[in-house]
Amino acid sequence: MLATVLTAQPVPPADKLSAPAIDYGAIMPVLIVLGAACVGVLVEAFLPKHQRWPVQVVLSLATLAGAGIAMAVYLGDESTPKNGVITLAGTLAVDRPALFLWGTLLVLTLGALLLIADRSVEPGGAFVAEAAIRPGTIQDRAQVAGTGMQTEVFPLTLFALGGMMVFTSANDLLTMFIALEVLSLPLYLMCGLARRRRLLSQEAAVKYFLLGAFASAFFLYGLALLYGYAGSVKLADISNAAAGTDRSDALLFGGLGLLVVGLLFKASVGPFHTWTPDVYQGAPTPITAFMAACTKVAAFGGMLRVLQVGFESTSWEWRGVLWGVAIVSMVIGAVLGLTQTDVKRMIAYSSIAHAGFLLIGSIALTDQGLSGTLFYLLTYGFTTLAAFGVISLVRNADGEATHLSQWAGLAKRSPVTAAVFTFILLALAGIPLTSGFVGKFVIFSAALQDGMAPLVVIALIASAVAAFFYLRVIVLMYFSEPAADGPSVTVPGAFTTASITLGVIATLVLGVLPAFALDWAGSGTFAFQ
Amino acid sequence: MSAVLAAAAAEVSTGEAIAFWVLGPVALAGALGMIFARNAVHSALWLVLTMLSLGVMYMVQQAPFLGFVQIIVYTGAVMMLFLFVLMLVGRDSSDSVVEVLRGQRLWATVLGIGIAGLIVGAVSRSLTDVPVENLQQQNAGGANVNNLGKSIFTEYLFPFELTSALLITAAMGAMVLGYLNRHEKGMKRTQKELVEARFRGEYERPSPLPGPGVFATANSVATPALLPDGSVAPESLSRLIDSTASETFSDEIKSVAGTEPGPDAHALTPSTKDTSTTDTKNTEDTEETR
Amino acid sequence: MTRAELLADDPLWLILIKAVVLLLIGPLMTMFMVIFERKVVAWMQHRPGPNRVGPWGLLQSIADAIKLPFKEQIIPTTADRKVYFLAPIVSVIPSFLAFSVIPFGPQVSIFGEQTVLQLVDLPVGALVILACSSLGVYGIVLAGWASGSAYPLLGGLRSAAQVISYEIAMGLSIVGVILYSHSLSTGDIVDAQRDGWYFYLLIPSFVIYLISMVGETNRAPFDLPEAESELVGGFHTEYSSMKFAMFFLAEYTNMVIVSMFATTLFLGGYMAPWPISLIGDNYLNTGWWPVLWFMGKTMLLLFVFVWLRGTLPRMRYDQFMRLGWKVLVPVSLVWIVVIAGIRAFRNEPNISTSQILVFGGVALLVLIAVAMLIPDKRARAEDEYLVPVTGGGHPVPPLDLEVPKPPKRRSLSEAKVARKPAAVPAGQSTSDTPDKESE
Repeated sequence: MLATVLTAQPVPPADKLSAPAIDYGAIMPVLIVLGAACVGVLVEAFLPKHQRWPVQVVLSLATLAGAGIAMAVYLGDESTPKNGVITLAGTLAVDRPALFLWGTLLVLTLGALLLIADRSVEPGGAFVAEAAIRPGTIQDRAQVAGTGMQTEVFPLTLFALGGMMVFTSANDLLTMFIALEVLSLPLYLMCGLARRRRLLSQEAAVKYFLLGAFASAFFLYGLALLYGYAGSVKLADISNAAAGTDRSDALLFGGLGLLVVGLLFKASVGPFHTWTPDVYQGAPTPITAFMAACTKVAAFGGMLRVLQVGFESTSWEWRGVLWGVAIVSMVIGAVLGLTQTDVKRMIAYSSIAHAGFLLIGSIALTDQGLSGTLFYLLTYGFTTLAAFGVISLVRNADGEATHLSQWAGLAKRSPVTAAVFTFILLALAGIPLTSGFVGKFVIFSAALQDGMAPLVVIALIASAVAAFFYLRVIVLMYFSEPAADGPSVTVPGAFTTASITLGVIATLVLGVLPAFALDWAGSGTFAFQ
Repeated sequence: MSAVLAAAAAEVSTGEAIAFWVLGPVALAGALGMIFARNAVHSALWLVLTMLSLGVMYMVQQAPFLGFVQIIVYTGAVMMLFLFVLMLVGRDSSDSVVEVLRGQRLWATVLGIGIAGLIVGAVSRSLTDVPVENLQQQNAGGANVNNLGKSIFTEYLFPFELTSALLITAAMGAMVLGYLNRHEKGMKRTQKELVEARFRGEYERPSPLPGPGVFATANSVATPALLPDGSVAPESLSRLIDSTASETFSDEIKSVAGTEPGPDAHALTPSTKDTSTTDTKNTEDTEETR
Repeated sequence: MTRAELLADDPLWLILIKAVVLLLIGPLMTMFMVIFERKVVAWMQHRPGPNRVGPWGLLQSIADAIKLPFKEQIIPTTADRKVYFLAPIVSVIPSFLAFSVIPFGPQVSIFGEQTVLQLVDLPVGALVILACSSLGVYGIVLAGWASGSAYPLLGGLRSAAQVISYEIAMGLSIVGVILYSHSLSTGDIVDAQRDGWYFYLLIPSFVIYLISMVGETNRAPFDLPEAESELVGGFHTEYSSMKFAMFFLAEYTNMVIVSMFATTLFLGGYMAPWPISLIGDNYLNTGWWPVLWFMGKTMLLLFVFVWLRGTLPRMRYDQFMRLGWKVLVPVSLVWIVVIAGIRAFRNEPNISTSQILVFGGVALLVLIAVAMLIPDKRARAEDEYLVPVTGGGHPVPPLDLEVPKPPKRRSLSEAKVARKPAAVPAGQSTSDTPDKESE
């Protein structure tokens, strides 16, 4: 049959298509991550259940290492252009900020992955053994005691990571939209896979999914309007079209508005934050860590590129609106954070306040603003990763004990945990000698240089208010009597220890010796083409 | 055809205008119908109408491939899955008219109309100011599909490939959330295991319940089956059927209709008229009287 | 002039004539199919089949066509009336629409006007047929839902799942044809088969199409939406009179459509088959002759439908779904990759056919070697609770099972006599035992 297929039917001389030029060296990290994710799916399909966990862990860690090495090789190569390359028919821009964000994402994912892989804190891991079993049934109660887990989480994490990496380097809005979906879909899914409190977890997943779908629709509608305006989805084309002002601005600003709403939702900024507390609370804690650290990096990375490459020329018109959004975000985060009684929800509101700070850096359209935001993302990611790592340790019989009253007097039970958490909270509050201080400092100074003094004042007030609820937890841990039936602090296994250590050391180092990271963050700007 | 297309591209032809003014209101009516229909299935059908109109509009505007893909994928597959779920939910489920949040309906209406007006105003104003792109380049040589393929594999190669990651994730998500290994211990038994368990005596009886005795004397499934010795097998009647009203009144119905069975030729003794229980099987009567 | 240009030149009266003829094809073919199917099935089962109306019962379908609309119309009280009325219409219209892109013949002259025997030649003709079949299923699903009763609902649900699943396999089987013909237009696909029909060039695609077309039209052995033994009549249980007739019409028209589509895609469309094509410098491939070949090929496929119905038992629902998703779809995907790979090789000027064959052979050997490495399924571990099984695989009843007492009618001695032969050992001759008994 092969022969008949080969011999019959002479092929008409078709005008051959030539594939677009691909700079494999530049996009190798993305290819490695996405390829390994596919391999992970095959592992799920072909290996017996008991072998999957070790294989997936090794595969995922090797992937992150491989992607990191590929990136280092690319950066170390002399022939690598300083201004970045635009490859794959202009859909991906691999420039210095993109590479910085890729590095950040890889390291943060490494930390999150260690938390995901951990099976010492909760026997069998934080993930449900069989998600299809309905919560509350006999089978469900049986599987809580079991040690299995849905190892699909590992390839899903890698897919999400791949989506995030593409998102930060997407040079046109279409690629950006698909990357947005690639990063969101695994997150929606993983949110619903908690081993304990499954109904809460599933509710979080549904909520995140529904609101995320709306946000994607906003993004897509904005994209359509911008395409109508510029006749192209490429950021550079939109920018060029906006520079010549003979077209209707209604499409441009309508499109930009809707587009930014989609982005702000993912970054959980300001009035688009409503999903954040519930999802942070309901999702399995390792996934919360992954989301809090990496999604924020990806979302702000994408936003920086959209605003700086696509819409710099029209910044005068939209900047006022984003000022307002930043203020709303900081106020909501700081004020509502005060009223929270659950640690995970408190960190969620803190992340909303931090998103406000990050937005200040993003709308300062200078090189300092760019590098400051990049640096802040790095520091915030490490700190929040460590925070959720510590939260996963404080447990009672029902799983994690996240209510604040259960944290009372924790320092007397476990001084080391309390000390580590105190350090993290201080970093979140932005106390000197932690990375949080340096991050806030670079962002505020960039904003001041760009003439946003009132915004900086409001931001300082907001961080002072926010510092209050961080300090409240510290006071609670050190100066309250522990409850008699309070939670115990689990001694973490190697994975969680490594993850928390990574977060804490990075927070400390970036707080004391920030120069090298600042240099790297400021080593280049976005490629424009 | 290409000549026709090229000519049509230059200006809006009469046919296109007619098609638009027919399909536009239909699509709009479908959208409004979807919102205001109380029944979920009706809503879905209205949406199908909108999608069909959109598909035809695409075809009229020189994008035949897009139009048919819209029909195949959206109306054919996506909406069909919607219907599938809605049908499983149950046909009586309709929207509750109780407002959960007070004033939500009012505010939703006001804001919805507001944003619709804003967008329509903005877009219509910008129609005059924005350079019009037509599909002449995509339709060059009358080969809409070929050019589309070219774009996908050159200009949009990466987004196209990236969607595969999306699809893999979606498929895996469905597996994770939906797949249950029913054949593990404690789950549902296979047919074979069930038979074995029955023979081990884990169930009341090794065989299934006897079927109803639909014999030549009656077409009704309410007729009980007879055991080999001629007695009635009470298990053969479903409890559901046993308690129906028609059965209790069957004799009255028959006497009114004049279709009472005559004496049974096979009966050894003439059947006594039995008005007590079930709807009179002659065989049964003879057994009892014997 | 190309096919599309010829069609674009058609005057309005010609278009109207074509449209009317196409509208007539559906009902006429349905009436023919009814008697054809009944006769063929009867022939396969050694019965005479319908033989009352007209000579050999040939007018039976006309009698049916007259009878059906005049029957009483019954609408269940629980029905959703609007949708209930809509469903049969939705099911009929798309099946008629699909005829418009089928090429029945090449260029001919009708009343002096040069034209092609086809209503319209769209650049995406193949998709039109897929779209129509995906719309037609709405009729079935809505009928099932709107009837307001359990069996139709189950039939409708089955139908939705079935058609969606098999449409994927069908769409994938078409991809091979499109890759070969470089076009989605039905006319171009027929023209591209001048050098060889696709049914032997693309055997896997053809087989998959044949299977999925039976699934798509809800015909035996895949007629699960209307499985009589399980669902009474499936989705049309609650329909009667004209509305039932419309479902009937839609089902048979769909069969005709998929057969014509298969003819177009794989069997060379209207082109004359091989030995005939040699006659008179392919004279029989011009003018109105090709319509004959086209209808002949369609009839052949329709016969296959009837043949399948007369031969195969109905599949179980899960087996049917497994066949669709786990066999047809993966096989199609692999086959598409193979086709694409071969074409990519052939587009390389530096690679000769023999090289491809060598590499293909090596790849095949590697595949076989890999297949050898896959371990056989391990036998299941012995279970202490395992019920003993006889040689035929049937479980043996437990020894302490209570045997019901025999009826009292027979006397004890009779029972003994009756049982005695069973006690004879297998090897022993049994010929003389009955004699002894009789003595």
